[in-house]
Amino acid sequence: MRSPETTVISPAPFLPLLVKELREVVSGRALWIMILILCPLAGYSFFQAVSLYSEASAAVQQSPVLATGLSPLDGILVPTFGSFYVAVTLLFPFVAIRVLGREKESGALRLLIQLPYAIPTLIATKLLAVMAAWSLAFVPVVSSVSIWMMLGGHLHAPETLNLIFGHALYGLLVGTIAIFAASIAEGAATAAIITLTFTIGSWVLDFTAAGRPGFLDWLSRLSLTQTLRPFEQGLLSAGLMIGMVTVVAGFAALAGIWLPPGVSLRRKLLWSLCCVAATAAILAVVAQARWSIDVTEDRRNSFPLADERALPHLAAPLVITVRLAPEDPRYVDLRRNVLSKLERSLSDLTIRLAGAQQSVIGKAGDDAYGEVEYVYAGRAATSRSTSHREILPLLYGLAGMALPPPVPGDDYAGYPLVANADAMLLWFFGALPLLIAIAWWWSRRPPPVNHLTIVTEIKNEVTQAN
Amino acid sequence: MRVAALNKRYGDQHALADVSFAVNAGETLGLIGPNGAGKTTLLEAVAGLVPIDSGEVFWGGRPLSQGERRQHMFYLPDGVRPWSDQYVVRVLEFFAGVYRRSRSEIAAVVAAVGLTPVLGKRVVALSKGYARRMMWALALIAPHPLLLMDEPFDGFDLKQTRQMMGVLRQLLVPARTLVLSIHQLSDAEHVCDRFVLLTDGRVRGAGTLEELSVQAGRPTGGLEEIFLALA
Repeated sequence: MRSPETTVISPAPFLPLLVKELREVVSGRALWIMILILCPLAGYSFFQAVSLYSEASAAVQQSPVLATGLSPLDGILVPTFGSFYVAVTLLFPFVAIRVLGREKESGALRLLIQLPYAIPTLIATKLLAVMAAWSLAFVPVVSSVSIWMMLGGHLHAPETLNLIFGHALYGLLVGTIAIFAASIAEGAATAAIITLTFTIGSWVLDFTAAGRPGFLDWLSRLSLTQTLRPFEQGLLSAGLMIGMVTVVAGFAALAGIWLPPGVSLRRKLLWSLCCVAATAAILAVVAQARWSIDVTEDRRNSFPLADERALPHLAAPLVITVRLAPEDPRYVDLRRNVLSKLERSLSDLTIRLAGAQQSVIGKAGDDAYGEVEYVYAGRAATSRSTSHREILPLLYGLAGMALPPPVPGDDYAGYPLVANADAMLLWFFGALPLLIAIAWWWSRRPPPVNHLTIVTEIKNEVTQAN
Repeated sequence: MRVAALNKRYGDQHALADVSFAVNAGETLGLIGPNGAGKTTLLEAVAGLVPIDSGEVFWGGRPLSQGERRQHMFYLPDGVRPWSDQYVVRVLEFFAGVYRRSRSEIAAVVAAVGLTPVLGKRVVALSKGYARRMMWALALIAPHPLLLMDEPFDGFDLKQTRQMMGVLRQLLVPARTLVLSIHQLSDAEHVCDRFVLLTDGRVRGAGTLEELSVQAGRPTGGLEEIFLALA
């Protein structure tokens, strides 16, 4: 038998690495257990959503005008996807950590790092494997959506795809944080603690800091949970998208910095500092991006079509001074109903929050508290309204424009549906888990074909030698 | 390859202190020393897998950066079961794919190291001996001109050790330069051309058996006696 030849080491093909990573992620119990847990979780959320939607739809039969409030995005998709969000937040880190943590613990990383792959290639492949695992975990949710359509339910493709895209970005974000945590931690348990600090810490930030003035409000915007909200509201925001991708790239770069075991701690810390600074700088720039698309069928994030067409004619700068505390419910209403829509419609808009340093209780006695001042082309008007029906005429008045005539066919009719999803509980609690268990068993089968192939090759080798 | 003045500290302890040695092309060099002598740290430092405080690794007279080392050398660690949830055949396929080895080459390696009976087993289910054979198979698949192997005979009984020594002579020695870390001196004496004696992270002697026996003043002694004299 000849000695295997030594050769010049050339860059290795990508496919063997990808196949290896996919096999690694599928061979772990964590992924399959997560999917099995997701079946009843997503199924029951879907069942509850359909029940409530059906009750609301039944009420619409007596009062058809209420149908405009029945949107499958709010009624079915967001609650069903909510269970997936919980699973991705709490369980998915354990799946993603395994992609790197297992190799660190077993010593395989010391072999992997010597293979002719660049570090970014190793990290990118692991992220691909993590997203493949995410796609498998998404199966129960896909089955919920399919059942909704089979029941005769309506889905608006852009808002559905936008929501899926948001959850995929969130999954990628959690996965990247998990890989970063695995790269800095010695064991999987420590990596899990680090990742859950990010994910559960986001919940804590949401509960404690959101809506509070000043630093706490800024801090609450770092919450991972906040990233899903615009997608759930049917907004595709360029700033948010680029921001999430930047954070993903930042954590991936940090994982790449901490992966090679032969680099000194000081150098790793220095490079990490540079990486964090670069990510923060990009995020600061990205935060200025306002471009977004309202993908909802009911156009909830936009003014009526007639106003959307008229508002771009307000070419002069518009300055709005809001005398409300950020945690005041009226400010939340004003922000949702008017300010965020104006930000999307006007190119030159400045919003000043005069009540940013105040609290609702502290300014209750101030007569001016609650006023919103609009200044356009040297003219000013004040209002306490939070509805676009009062604010937009006021703005047209400041600009000397006539009210635009309504555009026919601009009304959203709503999609009421009375359906019974009781039988579907059998699918989510019985058939689907069984199918997943079979897929799990199938993924663990020994590879007989390749084994035989090699034995055949050995026989050939022996025959040739003889 | 030449290693010059490698230093590595863990806190106050010198894991490697001014370690220098060279290995010539086609040679089998044995790193000899008791447990805790710094053999594994030295191999990992040479392979670029642990950060060092100072020192250089030269290849053909040129200093090698950490990134360049994997172009020239491959390190087989001791006591690892890589990708333990995978089947042995999958791990071999992965390495074969990475280094573009043909099926017949893999088949030859499998036959040589005696892995055929366990190809369809998971790595985690392998006995210590078979796990070591799998690592040998990976070493044979890797095409690097220099192989660094940590305790390559650990886990084998006497008969298996002799068999693997045969594999080493037949398959590795003709094509590669080998640096083997071995704590069993009798094994080292059988397979190595030259030796580096290491204790407490310091080189206590280097050379062929004859050269070391002169250094130790034991002209008729075996490696064990020489080692005890120099250490």
